[in-house]
Amino acid sequence: MKLDPRTKLFMILVVSAVVMMSATTPFLWAVRIVMTLIPIILLIIEKKYTSAFGFTFLYAAALVMTFCFINEASATFFKTFVTGYSGIVVQFMPCLITAWYVVRTTKIGEFMSAMQKMHLPDGITISLAVVMRFFPTIREEYSSISDAMKMRGISLGGGNAAKMIEYRMIPLLFSCVNIGDELSAAAITRGLGGNVRRTSVETLKLHVSDWLLITAFTAVAVIFVLFKYVL
Amino acid sequence: MTEVVTNNSNKLKAKDFITVGIFTAIIFVVEFACGMLGYIHPFIVASYVIMIPLVGAIPMMLFYTKVQKFGMITIMSVLIAIIMFVTGMGFLGAPLIIAAGVIADLIAKSGKYKSFKKTMFSYGVFCLWICANYFPVVITADAYRKSLTDGGYSAEYCNNLFLAINYKTIGILLVLCFVFGCLGAVIGKAVVKKHFEKAGIV
Repeated sequence: MKLDPRTKLFMILVVSAVVMMSATTPFLWAVRIVMTLIPIILLIIEKKYTSAFGFTFLYAAALVMTFCFINEASATFFKTFVTGYSGIVVQFMPCLITAWYVVRTTKIGEFMSAMQKMHLPDGITISLAVVMRFFPTIREEYSSISDAMKMRGISLGGGNAAKMIEYRMIPLLFSCVNIGDELSAAAITRGLGGNVRRTSVETLKLHVSDWLLITAFTAVAVIFVLFKYVL
Repeated sequence: MTEVVTNNSNKLKAKDFITVGIFTAIIFVVEFACGMLGYIHPFIVASYVIMIPLVGAIPMMLFYTKVQKFGMITIMSVLIAIIMFVTGMGFLGAPLIIAAGVIADLIAKSGKYKSFKKTMFSYGVFCLWICANYFPVVITADAYRKSLTDGGYSAEYCNNLFLAINYKTIGILLVLCFVFGCLGAVIGKAVVKKHFEKAGIV
């Protein structure tokens, strides 16, 4: 199933807005959990089983933790730690899952043409597309750097915080700058930043599934606001 | 060297946008890594004003060497505001983040993006975006506390958080943020000189 990038952006918008309002009643928790399940189901449809399963497991574990530990005076360090972390996972996981789904399933071309259709300025569109594309790259580069460091037996930089940061940051910056240069060369070859309006091979159209999802997420937002602030 | 030749006009080009994107991603990763530590203890949340300016200074100083036109720092702040919203930090801080970005951009511009003194101040001001994340804590203190306890944080965490961040300390935090931004700029500059200028990247 292919969704329109605009639908995906709308999903992100709604999820981030809902996440900011805290759930106070069991019903609101239910709404929030249902909302979190939608991107997980979408991930399964896209055959991303590992991440779907991982997210479900984490989210479920954090939910159980939160509801078991909540309102208890968490005296020990470990307890504070666990409640803190599961609280944060429960709070931000919906955002993370949706963002992950969007980043993983949206091609840059689709994203660009959607942004262009919404008449956003070029500067924001291009930069945002690069940011989106760059997170996986940073992770890859970082793990290569870690491997290289392990091979040479440098694991923690001798316990010196400044060294630890330096050893990781500098190589990362080096590779990022180089990748950036390559990226600009590739983008300019494809006519990015020219004076003419770019066309796209991707024709964007809202399908039935898009409308369904938009309706569903609008409903979630409306229900949440209604039951939290009005009723 | 070719950069200098092609960057004559004042209009931003695709290459500049890509540079902005890359460095925003790096800054966000720095912010995220520091942010993860904050859940250990609320005092660490307050110490973001020290940690993030210092660590973020290295990529930012490298970024500043690539900034030659007005707008790049502004776009970066807009992107940070968008990312902060998407990751669930709320939109209260967004105007502050963008304002910090525009002012930082103007300061750096007044030094023609070359004067180190101006760059230092500019980075100090830019760092104030970190304080924007405290905004919900300060302005909507009561509602925020409730949402935290509802969200599963312990009462102790909340007490400490509000002890460290309230409308009295926010001024100190802002000043600290600026001071450590300037200090970070000096360190970052030294690091960039040590590693990148020698390698000929800058």
